[in-house]
Amino acid sequence: MSRGRHAARRSRPAGLIVLLAGSLVALGGVIGLVANDPSGSSGYPLGRTPHVDAPRGRAAALAIASGRHSVPRPVSLVVPAIGVRSKLIRLGTTSAGTLQVPTTTSEAGWYTASARPGAIGPAVIAGHVDSTAGEGIFFRLRLLRPGDKVFVRRADGTVAQFVITAVRFYVKTRFPTSAVYGPVPYAAIRLITCGGVFDHATGSYLSNVVAYGRQIAGRHHASHRK
Amino acid sequence: MNLTSRLPAFRHVLAACALSAGLLSIAAPATSAAPATGWLRLAHLSPNTPAVDVYLYSVGNPHARLVLHHVSYGTVSPYLKAAVGTYTVAMRPAGAASSSAPVLSTAVHVRAGDAYTVAGMGPASGLRLQVLNDRLTSPRGHAMIRVIQASMREHLVTVRAGTDVLGKNLAFATATSYRAVSRGRLTVQAVGATERALNKLTLQAGTIHTLVVLDEPGRLRIDNLEDAAGSKVLPVGAPATGLGGTAPRQQSSGVIWLAFISAGLLIAASGLIRFRRGRRPDISMR
Repeated sequence: MSRGRHAARRSRPAGLIVLLAGSLVALGGVIGLVANDPSGSSGYPLGRTPHVDAPRGRAAALAIASGRHSVPRPVSLVVPAIGVRSKLIRLGTTSAGTLQVPTTTSEAGWYTASARPGAIGPAVIAGHVDSTAGEGIFFRLRLLRPGDKVFVRRADGTVAQFVITAVRFYVKTRFPTSAVYGPVPYAAIRLITCGGVFDHATGSYLSNVVAYGRQIAGRHHASHRK
Repeated sequence: MNLTSRLPAFRHVLAACALSAGLLSIAAPATSAAPATGWLRLAHLSPNTPAVDVYLYSVGNPHARLVLHHVSYGTVSPYLKAAVGTYTVAMRPAGAASSSAPVLSTAVHVRAGDAYTVAGMGPASGLRLQVLNDRLTSPRGHAMIRVIQASMREHLVTVRAGTDVLGKNLAFATATSYRAVSRGRLTVQAVGATERALNKLTLQAGTIHTLVVLDEPGRLRIDNLEDAAGSKVLPVGAPATGLGGTAPRQQSSGVIWLAFISAGLLIAASGLIRFRRGRRPDISMR
């Protein structure tokens, strides 16, 4: 009995030390977890969205199904809500069949096998979310909201206007090819970039961000094509 | 085929576009990528019926969702996005009061993701509103094409695309189903008993077309409507549009920190038990 009591007495300070040590380890874990928020919100700061004005210019006619009308090719993109102003590079597909992406991270590109912006069909525009060092042209694409406007200037100086209808995240292994590139019965736009978790082992993001939009009549009335 | 002959119809379409500008969303709020919405378009394809006003109602609502004014023969509106449900399409003579009884009307059930053409077809004396199911997809690498025969002067018309027969002796006010054709240049011919028309098309892969055979003074005309279009080539997989410069580092180590927390709590708990044992020996005795 007395041996047990002595042992208990001896273990008291030791217990206290173990308690404190364990608490410290747990606290360290909590600090580590908070400092390393995997949602990414603690990552690169969003910063201030650059101010970009809607482009001036004659509003493009709404897409029509009838007749042989040619829609001019796109030359530049403006998305005021996320501070995007970019000339549009021409993109094809790679030898592996994937969508080519711009060689520079500071400019967006239009996929030439997709519809011309303002023609019936999905006009697909891709841009990088970031470079190895910082922001890419579509860094803030995930912040687009339904109702935001997208402007595409075409080679004839007209401006096709679109309204964002949805912004979606997709895991790359389940990228919805037909929803993004497939047929639609109206003039649509798709803005694509990467997002979600970055896999440092493969050097690739695991998800894509896709903003969907459709053409609307511009503020100035569409001038009839001659 | 030649531009001058197309212009009248072209202008009607433009007028319809202008009228429906801003009305593209007739019922649905902001849409998602896979929405519970479908598509409707309205057409006047009765040669001897004067211009009409076309009204679109959703069932149970007496107020028109949309009115297309002064729609004349040969006009096909752009597609209108419509929430899934039942709609009524009604036609009144152009300029007639919206409270007047319609000349005719029909119900359309819009299903998610589907598209419909609601067309006034037939002769004025037997005008009816026909609901056609439109296609929005094509087999990979191909275009889809169908024919609506809306010529009354030529009651039977045979339509060929290259050497393919799209429709043989198509009766006035009928439509073929879609068929897949190879992409590329294509000469389309519509041949009636005395009149004919010829149209040179370039069909892209991933596009869906409706050819409308129309009466034109002295001859036939073929209108080529692009019902829907997709990318000519569908890229494989997902685009690689990021190099990681703004990605948080050590993304996956959250688990390690959780392990730290649980291990720490375990150690602390064992310490606490020892501490309490030391303070209250009686309890530990037995």
